[in-house]
Amino acid sequence: MDNPILSALNQTFFTVSRVVEAVPGSEIVINYIKNSYQNDPFRVILELGLAIYAVKYMMSKKYRIDHTQVHLTEKEIDELIAEWQPESLVQPLSDIQRMELDKSQLIVGGQGPKPKLQATGKNMLNLASTNFLGYINNEEIKEKAIETLRNYGVGSCGPPGFYGTLDVHISLEKDISRFLGTESTIIYAQGFSTISSVIAAFSKRGDIIVADEGSNFAIQKGTQISRSNIKWFKHNDMADLERILQSIQKEGPGNKRPLTRRFIVTEGLFQNYGDLAPLDKIMELKHKYKYRVILDESNSFGLLGKTGRGVTEVFDVSPKDVDMIVGSMANSFSTAGGFCAGPKEVVDHQRLSGQAFVFSASIPAMLAVCSSEAINILEHGQNGQKLLKDLNENAAVFRNIVVTAPQAIEISSNAGSPILHLRFPKNALDAVGVTSRDEEKYLLQEIVDEVATKDAILITRAKYVDHQEQFLPRPSIRISISACHSRKEIEKAAQAIKGAFIKAASKRK
Amino acid sequence: MTLASMYKLDYIQILDQHAQTNLNSSWVNDKGAWMTNVIIIFFIKFFFGIIPGISQELSWTLTTLTYNVGSYIMFHAVTGVPFEFSQGAYDGITLWEQIDGGVQFTATRKYLTAVPIALFFLNTHHTNYAPFAFFMTLIVTIINLIAKLPSMHQVRLFDINQKIDTGL
Repeated sequence: MDNPILSALNQTFFTVSRVVEAVPGSEIVINYIKNSYQNDPFRVILELGLAIYAVKYMMSKKYRIDHTQVHLTEKEIDELIAEWQPESLVQPLSDIQRMELDKSQLIVGGQGPKPKLQATGKNMLNLASTNFLGYINNEEIKEKAIETLRNYGVGSCGPPGFYGTLDVHISLEKDISRFLGTESTIIYAQGFSTISSVIAAFSKRGDIIVADEGSNFAIQKGTQISRSNIKWFKHNDMADLERILQSIQKEGPGNKRPLTRRFIVTEGLFQNYGDLAPLDKIMELKHKYKYRVILDESNSFGLLGKTGRGVTEVFDVSPKDVDMIVGSMANSFSTAGGFCAGPKEVVDHQRLSGQAFVFSASIPAMLAVCSSEAINILEHGQNGQKLLKDLNENAAVFRNIVVTAPQAIEISSNAGSPILHLRFPKNALDAVGVTSRDEEKYLLQEIVDEVATKDAILITRAKYVDHQEQFLPRPSIRISISACHSRKEIEKAAQAIKGAFIKAASKRK
Repeated sequence: MTLASMYKLDYIQILDQHAQTNLNSSWVNDKGAWMTNVIIIFFIKFFFGIIPGISQELSWTLTTLTYNVGSYIMFHAVTGVPFEFSQGAYDGITLWEQIDGGVQFTATRKYLTAVPIALFFLNTHHTNYAPFAFFMTLIVTIINLIAKLPSMHQVRLFDINQKIDTGL
């Protein structure tokens, strides 16, 4: 061998083969490989390829494929640690938070239509608490509550599925079904979380929800946790709703794909605006495009309609047509909890997959009995009809006085609604020089303070979690009319509030 | 192009997946799961060996075919989880994609890739390198291996198991 490279290669080849022969059992392996050739080079190449792929796969490093991991070098980690300052445990209050804290009123004694403030010791006319039919001070209900308390104790000691269901819960469910006219009902412990739980129990990832933009916070959270595809239509705009339903229908599922569940979610009486949803038009669209309707009657059950059956009575829609009616006994009856009324399958499904039902204690027995008694009053007592009539009249009286100042007050509520939202019109704000939301809140707070000090009226601003609302409503003063105020008091209060609004709108020119 | 954009993942869906342990896919890492895999192959071979009309070579081929088809159906054809715990976070996601939360080349994935390859080599040895058996098992093994490739993660061919896209 005169070529040095060739001779070096030859040497290594000899050394390697000698090493391999030295390994015990290597002859068997070499013989086997020789035998496996079988005159079929194609097959051997395929097998070799497979073996090489196996080795390559085994040697690969693992890696993540989601983009949540950020890779930092040691130096960067050290730098970040060095410059980190811990936040204080309690953040300093912003100006508006401090203002809200200072202006919160303390009430001495019981809640009612004329509570006494701790700061001044005066009795105020309560237009802030939701005491629509005056059930807070109703003597019959109080007696029933005390009697139940002696029989059942205070708490129900468990979730409804685990020894927490009492006979009074079952009878309350039957009462609500009979009163509303649906097949059955399920009771939730908290009125706020009822609608969130109902939406999430039926609508899952991949389903379609068409919801009103003016929906309250609980509905927004319910649609968020359901992980469905949400489309919002403009508040109470039926043309917009139809446009969206048509666009979904056009894109619709292909021939091979299954039909997903579709829901329309709206409120009977809107909590943030006080107006009613046009339920008859919604039912028309529902039948035309084959959707299911989830109606949140938290603010209208027991308050609207001739006999208090809610928005379905106002629009003469059969409650059996609405797929799910969700209501709140905390709002209408001043007790606690919420309910969902509907067909038997709908209600039974929620007993296992309504999260707020399964993972929450059931309502105390005395509150269930009070709700049953409240329904009883509405249905049978002659007082019931009178209460509804009074509520309606008081609301009408208040509204008629307040609408006479359109340059200072903008009302977004319907004529018959017991919840009124009073806002400043846009041009009034411009005239006063208020540009930001915080300044508007301060201006409204001035009105609240003024009627509190001058006329002994307790009202409140509507409060929102600003950074979490999808469609943040403008700041407003929310008035909750009560049936147990006299007409004179309501008139006086309306005049005082109107005066305060006009005064606030006209100063600081 | 980053890996994340390659895979087109939905952020909220990933959050939902990582909120709890996925009991549908965490068993592959448990003690005994790997051994059970081998024991199942033994059982299949035993079952085919018992049937009187089947020769040794045929039973090996049938074992490999059964194992590959069965594990393909189990890992790559069936989607979702059998119980409801994450509001549909695993809808349309096969068991293979659920293992270890989507991390590629973990120990379990390497093992589950090695088993069909080892079975293939055993098969060619025991059937004495017959060409028909070779090609049948090669095709089935390659389909199984392609499904386990990291670049096939959440890729759906021929509209099978295609995710329902409502276009919203």
